[in-house]
Amino acid sequence: MSTTDTGERRRGSDSRPLITELIDEATVQSIAEDAWIALVGEEELLVPLPGRLPDDVVSSWVDVVGPWTGTVVLTTGRQTAADLTRALLGDASPEVLDSEDVADAFGEIANVVGGNGKAALPGPSALSLPEVGSAPAPRNPADLCRVDVLWRGEPLSISVQGALPALPVH
Amino acid sequence: MNVRALVIDDSRAMRRIVSSILEGLGYEVQQAGHGREGLDVLETGWVPELVCVDWNMPVMDGLQFVSAVRTNPAWRSITIMMVTSESEHTQIVRALAAGAHEYVIKPFTADAIRDKLALLGLLPQEVAL
Repeated sequence: MSTTDTGERRRGSDSRPLITELIDEATVQSIAEDAWIALVGEEELLVPLPGRLPDDVVSSWVDVVGPWTGTVVLTTGRQTAADLTRALLGDASPEVLDSEDVADAFGEIANVVGGNGKAALPGPSALSLPEVGSAPAPRNPADLCRVDVLWRGEPLSISVQGALPALPVH
Repeated sequence: MNVRALVIDDSRAMRRIVSSILEGLGYEVQQAGHGREGLDVLETGWVPELVCVDWNMPVMDGLQFVSAVRTNPAWRSITIMMVTSESEHTQIVRALAAGAHEYVIKPFTADAIRDKLALLGLLPQEVAL
């Protein structure tokens, strides 16, 4: 029995949405602000101004797998990540933070931002457990929505980036 | 008698936050890092009035935990509240169908937790009456 390639699958992938068609920077900023108020503190503001990230950065991220597949990444300086951890833990913050404390808290912030970002995307989608370290690089510059903010004057970026390379141009 | 709660989340930070809110309301709290650890706590015979459980966790996720609790008649009295960043409607329906009573989406405020507990009649001063 022979089958005919109707091109349906190819056409289907050709219509793969880019993140910029699904979510905008204002929505990402709003999701992050809600997470900050609830997790970090009611007085904690994210100022939508770009700042230069230091050389020593750390990222936390979660993967979203569904009609749109990609990663929600938070990146900031290591000291800022530690400050975020202290703010999040509040009175429960230990006198000396270890790297696991920072990874846990910074990862949880990515989990909350990513989970709410997923809800703004077409579903159903699955969310991975958070990871912390050196974030995966964006694979397609067009499939990227990035917001740069300042928290307590320190730069932090939030990226919603596709996991798939750009489709070939015909 | 204290009203008891078990907080299950793979994030230590989130466990501390939720536990702090519940302790502030008068709960006696134990914690577990994933669903299997949560079942281990219940199997010791320490059966709380309330379990707050995350969804996405290693080893045993929140949905598996809810299903496991609901298969044991000895744990029928436990009220289960999912506290999770999983906010798709279909997922909420799945959790409720599996036996969760309430659903709180992260990020949440202390007031949101309090309001849900009030709806469930699980504020400690109400339970003690």
